[in-house]
Amino acid sequence: MKKLWLLLFSLLLLTGCGREKEKLILVTEAGFAPYEYYSNGEIVGVDIDIAKEIAKSLNKELVIKDVAFDSIISEVKTGKSDLGAAGISFTEERQREVDFTIDYAESKQVIIINKGTNISGSDDLKYKKVAVQLGSVADDYLSNNFINIEIVREKKFLAAIQDLKDHKVDAVVMDELPATKLVTSEMLILEEPLLTDSYGMVVRKGNTELLEECNKVILRLKQTGKIDEYLLKHLGVNETKEEKRTLKERFYDSVIYDGRYKFILEGLRNTLIIALGAVLIGILLGMIASISNNIYLNTGKFKLLSMISKAYVTAIRGTPSTLQLMIIYYVIFKQTSINIVLVGIIAFGINSGAYVAEIIRAGINSIDRGQWEAGYALGLNYPQVIGKIILPQSIKNILPALGNEFITLVKETSIGAYIGIVELTKASDIIASRTYDYFFPLILIAIIYLIITLLLSKFINLMEVRLNNARN
Amino acid sequence: MLEIKKLEKSFGEKRVLKGINLTINKGDIIGIIGPSGCGKSTLLRCINLLEKPTGGKIIFDGKDIQNSKHILDVRRRIGMVFQQFNLFNHMTVLDNIILAPTINKFMTREDAVRKANTLLKKVDLLDIKDSYPNQISGGQKQRVAIIRTLMMNPEIILFDEPTSALDPEMIGEVTNLMKKLADDGMTMLIVSHELNLIKNFCTRVIYIDDGKIVEEGTNKEIFNKPKDKRLKNFLLKINNK
Repeated sequence: MKKLWLLLFSLLLLTGCGREKEKLILVTEAGFAPYEYYSNGEIVGVDIDIAKEIAKSLNKELVIKDVAFDSIISEVKTGKSDLGAAGISFTEERQREVDFTIDYAESKQVIIINKGTNISGSDDLKYKKVAVQLGSVADDYLSNNFINIEIVREKKFLAAIQDLKDHKVDAVVMDELPATKLVTSEMLILEEPLLTDSYGMVVRKGNTELLEECNKVILRLKQTGKIDEYLLKHLGVNETKEEKRTLKERFYDSVIYDGRYKFILEGLRNTLIIALGAVLIGILLGMIASISNNIYLNTGKFKLLSMISKAYVTAIRGTPSTLQLMIIYYVIFKQTSINIVLVGIIAFGINSGAYVAEIIRAGINSIDRGQWEAGYALGLNYPQVIGKIILPQSIKNILPALGNEFITLVKETSIGAYIGIVELTKASDIIASRTYDYFFPLILIAIIYLIITLLLSKFINLMEVRLNNARN
Repeated sequence: MLEIKKLEKSFGEKRVLKGINLTINKGDIIGIIGPSGCGKSTLLRCINLLEKPTGGKIIFDGKDIQNSKHILDVRRRIGMVFQQFNLFNHMTVLDNIILAPTINKFMTREDAVRKANTLLKKVDLLDIKDSYPNQISGGQKQRVAIIRTLMMNPEIILFDEPTSALDPEMIGEVTNLMKKLADDGMTMLIVSHELNLIKNFCTRVIYIDDGKIVEEGTNKEIFNKPKDKRLKNFLLKINNK
């Protein structure tokens, strides 16, 4: 046990620290070709090329962080990242939160429909269902300017297109460039755009030094025609039209091509590291919480610790784990540049601790009161009774429940994607954002989750049999 | 050796013991009888502080045990046998017996094992010493529980309904062991519904009703010439069963 802890922490220290050249942290959501997307396991795109130029002129090392689009502004605002670039359109609301650079690209928000649908312009969107990407400029514009419209907000515009394909919505509004690559032969992009807007990068308010440097670089790139060059380069790269491909080809594209299975492996590794680290922290916290409470109930000592423990268990069990994760990342570790996997381990560990505390409490309560009394009547003290008589008996009930908690944790880690942890679910998302095909990535990770949990259940069953045999 | 003065115990609003006075001398074997819920078990449990009294004194060796800093020592000197045996289910019979003396270095492990073997042999239980509690009968369990208590050389043993959870054919083996203890001069307090057990070898019997001692006397006085109406009714009901 001790060794495992040591190993885990040294691992985290290794991944967490290490400072050489100063870093320029770019935050983006890499699912928006040609501006940012994954290729050969790396995030590339027009925005990335520009950011590289900026980093070069600052003589800094560019670090790219991939998070959900709706987290980008807060990443920059809180100083977790220096620069945000993800085809971000100018809006007044955003300008209140962060500073924009000069624009580097123009984009049209276009309306996409299924052929044969009776929509010919923005006026026809009334009383219709329209899918957009959550937090995108289309979302913003439609929400503010259209009243009689039902907006379906998807995390990804890919999902929005899928909705249209499945006839779940009547139209999709999104950026023109990716749109031209996504439409199938059954779809149609209306000629009249909903609106035309331009993209800028964002920096933290008041960071004029960086802002000026960015503007300088962008202006130079624009004038020398570099940005158009980047666009052409990246538009040529990703051609994975979905139509008329065999399953075998789709599997190849999703898993083998471009080393995409590496995302799955990285995701699997992070999922397991987080689940294992979290369960260890959880057991530690859970033991402290449940035992301090039990000590207080039986001896009256540790009142404060017991009350804190109780409040902790109540708070954790009464709030969604996604919320806890976000609070820990955006509020508690707001300013620190801490390794994100470590944040995951801490957040899930704190979450798990509350449930472990309840498991241990229930295990202790499952032991007949008479066992306590017999111990006391023989002149044993509280530590002896709980340590020699109660815990050894409750372990039979506690261990299997702990195993189940670990299974739950493995699955729960999937919400780590919210703060940008590349665990299994996020890994499948990354692949799908390249192939525009969700089928294999999702099925594949579902099978992996299933295998992990089945193996764990098997292990727990084995343990239960052992524990029962030991007694009979 | 043990003097109980005006002992009171309340659970919340409910007063269970309403001023019990009782003096126990060395070698006394006191039977405590009374209807269900009269407080007789609570009285026993107060004597070794499994329940905290809400009033009165329990004087043992000249000192009130409620003020004692050595409550654990007091408990070692006042043994208790429970209705449900309360053997430690995860330990063998032998480990159950030697746990208390060895955990506090009261005896070395070798001495404890030797003593346990001697006691087990006396009651013909040596062959089950490596069994777990769920592998032996109720009568065997209760005898093991008594031996477990004896290991600490208690000066008094409290028996809380020692035969009530036993099948009828197993009651004998437990009462025989208790009789042996009585013959050896052990001081005992026995709460029981089993009047034969009380009649058999108690030197004194007290009848408790509604948290008070209603009548006290020798075996014969209580069973043959009961004075109080409630005691008469109680004896009638039991004998008619």
